[in-house]
Amino acid sequence: MKPSDRNLKFGWWSLLVFLSLGGVLEILHGFKVGWYVDVGNDVRRLMFTLAHAHGTALALVNIAAGLTARSFKNFEMRRSISLSLIWAGVLFPVGFFLGGVVTYGGDPGLGIWMVPIAAILLFYAVIRIALDLSRFD
Amino acid sequence: MTQVATPQTLLGATGGAEFSFGGRDYKMEQQGDKLFVRTRSLGRTYGEPQQIVLVTGSHTLQVPWLETHDGRTLEQFPFAYIVAEKIWAPVSQTFLMPPDVKEYYSIGAWNGACMDCHVTEGQSRFVASNTWDSRVAEFGIACEACHSEGREHISLNHDPIRRFKIHLTNKTDSSITNPNRLTGPNSGLDCGQCHSVWAFKGMEDKIDFNRHGATFRPGQPDLTQRFVVQPSAPDYSEQKDFIRKTEPDFFRNRFWGDGMIRVTGRELNGVQASPCFRGGNFSCISCHEMHPTDMRQSNLNKWARSAQLKPRMESDEACLQCHKTMASNISAHTHHPADSSGSRCYNCHMPNTTFGLLHAMRSHQVSSPNAQESTEFGRPNACNLCHLNKTLAWTAEELQTWYNISPPKLPDEDQKIAAAAKWIVKGDAGQRALITWGMGWQPAQEVSGRDWLYPYLIYCLTDSYAANRFLAWKSLQTLPGFSDFSFTYTAEGRSLNNEAASALVKWLRQVRSPSIVFPPEMMLDPDGRFQKETFERLRNERDEKPILLAE
Repeated sequence: MKPSDRNLKFGWWSLLVFLSLGGVLEILHGFKVGWYVDVGNDVRRLMFTLAHAHGTALALVNIAAGLTARSFKNFEMRRSISLSLIWAGVLFPVGFFLGGVVTYGGDPGLGIWMVPIAAILLFYAVIRIALDLSRFD
Repeated sequence: MTQVATPQTLLGATGGAEFSFGGRDYKMEQQGDKLFVRTRSLGRTYGEPQQIVLVTGSHTLQVPWLETHDGRTLEQFPFAYIVAEKIWAPVSQTFLMPPDVKEYYSIGAWNGACMDCHVTEGQSRFVASNTWDSRVAEFGIACEACHSEGREHISLNHDPIRRFKIHLTNKTDSSITNPNRLTGPNSGLDCGQCHSVWAFKGMEDKIDFNRHGATFRPGQPDLTQRFVVQPSAPDYSEQKDFIRKTEPDFFRNRFWGDGMIRVTGRELNGVQASPCFRGGNFSCISCHEMHPTDMRQSNLNKWARSAQLKPRMESDEACLQCHKTMASNISAHTHHPADSSGSRCYNCHMPNTTFGLLHAMRSHQVSSPNAQESTEFGRPNACNLCHLNKTLAWTAEELQTWYNISPPKLPDEDQKIAAAAKWIVKGDAGQRALITWGMGWQPAQEVSGRDWLYPYLIYCLTDSYAANRFLAWKSLQTLPGFSDFSFTYTAEGRSLNNEAASALVKWLRQVRSPSIVFPPEMMLDPDGRFQKETFERLRNERDEKPILLAE
């Protein structure tokens, strides 16, 4: 399987998962579930919202990356870029989500430490794609 | 707490409301988000409006404060809003104070006294005459009031690694005070910096406090410029002698004769004097919490209504968390059925013998009931606060049988007349207040019966102390047939008598069961009227010494 095909497949499945998470969050709002909407749970609410937003956005980034590779003839993403994007798409939302499951007052849980790793992977992938495309005729 | 006065924070604020008291009329006006008051002497035209700038109190009683155009000096509005009843009443009639005391509604009272505790880090800053240039850190009781200064704590905790080290290791954050990790005495001072009767150690301390605010910081073992006044303790004798000379009523207005605190809002005095306190771990947060873990609105409402108690601390669990061995056979200790109100620790060891904000409240000095506290110091004992229908001699006898407590020598009337009936007729205004409130207390009604309470409460509707009239009104409303009883407790003379007469007629004709038989201790004839001779004798012997509870 080509790396770009992997990103496309991951992107669409990931989009399904995190759009569904958005639906779950709306249900939590709709039924005013205290674990999510109560005043003292604002960090959890923020973390879950960020998990949903980042998961969805990273899914779209993966799809866009896959389509970008396909739109240039004879261009293919490096394997490291493909895996970085996929792992960023996993670590960003999972980090935020786990950060919201257990919270420490104003701080999220330990899972939040996945987010900086995801950010580095994403930054690497984006800059690498930009550079590779710039050099590609 | 203190808040900026707006139509949202001053709960009873309504444009156009008019009040009359002490020969003056007051008219409240609303202009946008601001509230104003115009004042006039009777028959004159209203003067220029004064803005209501601040309001003290939030959920029980609210007192508004007016601008004076003289620096930051505030003037007290002479009416307070009673939140539960949704009524305005003269401030002097929201405290237990003699009717002939003219409330001073003074200029500068907030600056010179109230702001000592109703704000965070206040500085009164007296200027001259009656002018003040007061400053506060925050109007509400905010974080630093209990956790000490936060600048270093905030600065250090910008570092997420530091924060997570603390989260994951359960280490104490040394950059901030956590009352939960202090010793009992130090933790108690955290609350007691306000919730105690305190005084200045010396004149220099008073001046320093006035100019620069309190130097005490939560976590310290001493109030620095101030000390907690315990009449029975041997400490600060020089300062206490000075108080006795300069303010002779200071102790009487705050403490029972044996040194037990009798006003609300000063709970540390009770806690410090409790035997539990000597263990070094007992403090306010043994039972109370300021940050409930369950933040659902329903739980927050319950928490606020239950004096900010921790979960389950409204039950015996509060005491049993330490006195664990009692739990297995509580009746052996209480001599009451385990599921009855007589087996609840609070009812015997923290009875409702303190008073403030127009209601009785549990004493925070953990003690054991005895008849002597009533004969010697006039404090209604826990047994008779529940068994309102029993004599003091009955209490003394039961306590001797159960706990081998020697009975005091009792006069004839204490053998024959129910203690509550005696106190409510013959007692001083403070005793009357506790019994009048107690007659509306459900556990006491269930134990003592309700039928005989009506004439006593109706009689108290004309008490010379406004606070006692309020209590009689509210207690009457707890009795069958009187739940919708309306009464203007702030009215005067004939109006009060007419309303009380109507209430009596209603009880005699509509509510009273003709078959009811009153035991002789109730001092009531079969037709429900007081036994004239005994009643008048007790009434003539009433303790009329003025009572002013400085809550």
